[in-house]
Amino acid sequence: MKTKIGYLGRVEGEGGVEFEIQGGKLRRLKVNIWEPPRFFEGMLVGRRFDEVPDIVARICGICPVSHMVTSIRAIEKAIGLEPNENMLLARKIMSYSQIASSHLVHLVMLALPDYYGKSSFMELLPGEEALFKKFIRLKDVFNDITAAFGGGRALHPVSMVVGGFTALPDEKRIHGLRSGLFAAGEDVMDVFKTVSGFELPDLKTDSEFVALSEEGEYAINKGRISSDMGLDGEEQDYGSLFYEKEVPYSNAKKTAVKGRGSLMVGALSRVSLQSDRLSESARKLALEAGFMPGPGKNKNPFYNIRAQAIEIVHFTGECQALLDIVQSRTAFPKPVPKEGEGSALTEAPRGLLYHSYIIDRRGIVRKANIITPTAHNYLGIEENLRKLIENNMDKPAKHLQLLAEALIRAYDPCFSCSVH
Amino acid sequence: MPFFSGEKRKPRAGFFKFSCCTGCGFELAYFQRSLEDTLKSFDFTFFRLAYSSGALEGPFDLALVEGTVTEPHQAVELKRIRENSAVLYAVGSCAIAGGIPAIKAGGRELEIEKRVYQKKLYRLTSMRPSVLSDYVKVDGCVRGCPPGRRDLEEALVSILLHRRPEFIEYSVCVECKLRGNICLLVDEGLPCMGPVTNAGCGALCPACHRACYSCFGLMSRANIPALKNKFRELGLSGEEIERRFTLFDALRLKK
Repeated sequence: MKTKIGYLGRVEGEGGVEFEIQGGKLRRLKVNIWEPPRFFEGMLVGRRFDEVPDIVARICGICPVSHMVTSIRAIEKAIGLEPNENMLLARKIMSYSQIASSHLVHLVMLALPDYYGKSSFMELLPGEEALFKKFIRLKDVFNDITAAFGGGRALHPVSMVVGGFTALPDEKRIHGLRSGLFAAGEDVMDVFKTVSGFELPDLKTDSEFVALSEEGEYAINKGRISSDMGLDGEEQDYGSLFYEKEVPYSNAKKTAVKGRGSLMVGALSRVSLQSDRLSESARKLALEAGFMPGPGKNKNPFYNIRAQAIEIVHFTGECQALLDIVQSRTAFPKPVPKEGEGSALTEAPRGLLYHSYIIDRRGIVRKANIITPTAHNYLGIEENLRKLIENNMDKPAKHLQLLAEALIRAYDPCFSCSVH
Repeated sequence: MPFFSGEKRKPRAGFFKFSCCTGCGFELAYFQRSLEDTLKSFDFTFFRLAYSSGALEGPFDLALVEGTVTEPHQAVELKRIRENSAVLYAVGSCAIAGGIPAIKAGGRELEIEKRVYQKKLYRLTSMRPSVLSDYVKVDGCVRGCPPGRRDLEEALVSILLHRRPEFIEYSVCVECKLRGNICLLVDEGLPCMGPVTNAGCGALCPACHRACYSCFGLMSRANIPALKNKFRELGLSGEEIERRFTLFDALRLKK
């Protein structure tokens, strides 16, 4: 029996999956990411360092903030610029609100129809009208925050530059954003309840959970590399801990942990590795939702959607706290070109994101390297898909196909990012 | 029966993606403010981002297409979409001007590809970037990166009302003046691309004290030499000027 999904729907970008079962055995399986390459690392060479954030934002239409923040941090390291505290706070607000927003669209529009056996959320209307209204309200609350700090739009924000922000919202606006978040509390909880009510398929992954880790806070914009199998290192150690290889049948590359194998990055790894740094309410919900602290726990990739729902709760609280302390003043040191090399890691909505640049004395990029969350997850997606199909061989073909699609979506892959 | 014949049904719409960030798709299916009305007023018979089913073949009353054409198969698909669509709009800077994916047109294709792939270089089919109108007739342009909300609404509403759309065709300076901003180019000597860039963003960058970087692309009757002269007066080198004009419009200036 051959199953082929040429163009997988409800994921970001273009990819498909095919597998063949013969005589009760899975013969062949591949996730083919045919999203066309745009050669970002190739075309960044020759551009000036201060253009980089605007260029790399266009890698992805749902996590541009992550690519901007990661490149900005890498470039600041390369040219030796130390951003001030208020700029770092504003950057956190950008990242946190974007993660909440990205999770929301994934949970409701992309993943949810799988658990109702539908092709689109629109097919659930008018039955799920109430949830739809909440979704619309919530997305505006989160996107308004990113947009206000991003200079007027959440998608490809304009005010966030190397060094800081060219403008920040005034106090009145910040107050408005805070009220919006406060009023959204109940909607956030309802989304969590809906998502945690899904019956998730059984699956146990051997992939190593990898996430950033930072003393005293839930690490997003920077941190040490950590994993549930004892991986530990600084940002600049990235190259010695992971390797990347080309895939003949796919435009995306696969990344693995050196000497071990597949890894999983994203909300599930973060919630598992950093559970003690979640806000109190998010931590309580994580326990209620069956998340166990400690290594080797929660090793079902489908739980990723539950972890995303927990993170929405966490970041709602975090954004509120940051909006209380962030200031409207925008003074920051202007970046000056300088020869150097810098790399940075952040947690994008979908997990670990790596950017690295070599810049010459005139500020021109000489070398760029970008490794995205979906490239980190790619090997694990195929491994676990194989396992899922082998465990469910007795199910009818149609069911198996839906199960396979649901697993890929549970990872919340971004094929545009993975190829870039 | 075509939608325009007066039959009472929702218009059938298709959304298609070529080489890009899918941001236009997300703008339409997520970020914009009239999301509920959009999703309920149209019958999206092909929209991979929001529906896992759907027929690529159409027919469509409205085809919205994002992305730069950088692969041969995309050109073939584009022609098929055109044949099966009553109205086709190019959405976003990639589809209209080449946008960010067209930066590579400024260098040698193989050299750029080699910086990313080694082993599978011979399997790549990527080609010189081109815009939709190089291959098919485009009925309108929803400009921007991401697309401007006013034009996006205009594109949708005009279909619903069976009227000809009017898209914004003037420079960012107009919006900037309407916002009451102080001119960054004249007053502060910042190399602002506003005078040659198509409006639709709401003059976001100048309003946050940043020179416009032309993400909506050059407008059709832009006086490019005049602005280049002004930039030279400000002390920018030829290379620096070139970079500003090739961030989103590398193709237009190569022609």
